[in-house]
Amino acid sequence: MSDLIFGTDLFSEFDRMQRQMAGLFGGFPSSIRSGRFGAFPPVNIGATDDSIEIVAFAPGLKPDQFEVSIDKGLLTISGEREAWHTDDDPEVRMYAQERFTGSFRRVVELPQSADPDKVQARYANGCLSISVGKREASKPRAITVQ
Amino acid sequence: MNETTQVAERNQNAVTKGQEDRSTPSLLPAVDIVEDSNGVTLWADLPGVTRDKLEVNVHDGNLHIEAEAVVPTPQGLRVQHAEIRQPHFARAFSLSADLDASKIEANLQDGVLKLTIPRRDEARPRRIAVNVA
Repeated sequence: MSDLIFGTDLFSEFDRMQRQMAGLFGGFPSSIRSGRFGAFPPVNIGATDDSIEIVAFAPGLKPDQFEVSIDKGLLTISGEREAWHTDDDPEVRMYAQERFTGSFRRVVELPQSADPDKVQARYANGCLSISVGKREASKPRAITVQ
Repeated sequence: MNETTQVAERNQNAVTKGQEDRSTPSLLPAVDIVEDSNGVTLWADLPGVTRDKLEVNVHDGNLHIEAEAVVPTPQGLRVQHAEIRQPHFARAFSLSADLDASKIEANLQDGVLKLTIPRRDEARPRRIAVNVA
């Protein structure tokens, strides 16, 4: 049965990812709260003129299994992902267990311009999308030259 | 909300290019693989993947999983930090002859793909009674 996992070029893939990450973020200090690379769930962050958009790639959960909070400019996403199967059965043999199980916590430092009263969170297809509005005063505006 | 712009950049036609083109960078989805007396069950994490962006096929005894993540994001988004950079997932496994590729069941829910690959009937374990001579 070992041929089920044969052909998976895991190590070279991992090397490639690490090289890529080092190339992208190398030299830039990352946030003291960002945690190690590869933490669950992976998070992408972007911004528009009106909002800050955070996407957490956390498949296999239910919306009520997330706890999302904002406190003093810190957005915290936490929860627990349970294993889908039990290994009590002696008949059951596990060949791979790569998917994350257990409790998780990711913290995103929001900029000063974020408005904690304007937050929307939505979970679809395994992605938690959080939109944090920006304060009116911090939105970009054109300045008329007199 | 606009379905076309994404947090991570998207490679057009990434799914349709097929297995010949390995130049498309793709992520290896994390999997759990378990075998019991009925067959093999595989779970794969495919966040942001909908049913129409997922392709599971068996070719020459190899099981291929290819998927593309689509995350709806507002227009004019500037990406500041990305841990998932290519929203393209691909992974392949070879299936041994005792598994019945024609009876694979696939189920995608909340970004998790569950594949049930049954064993062929003749390959199911049997208890062989030993007679004392």
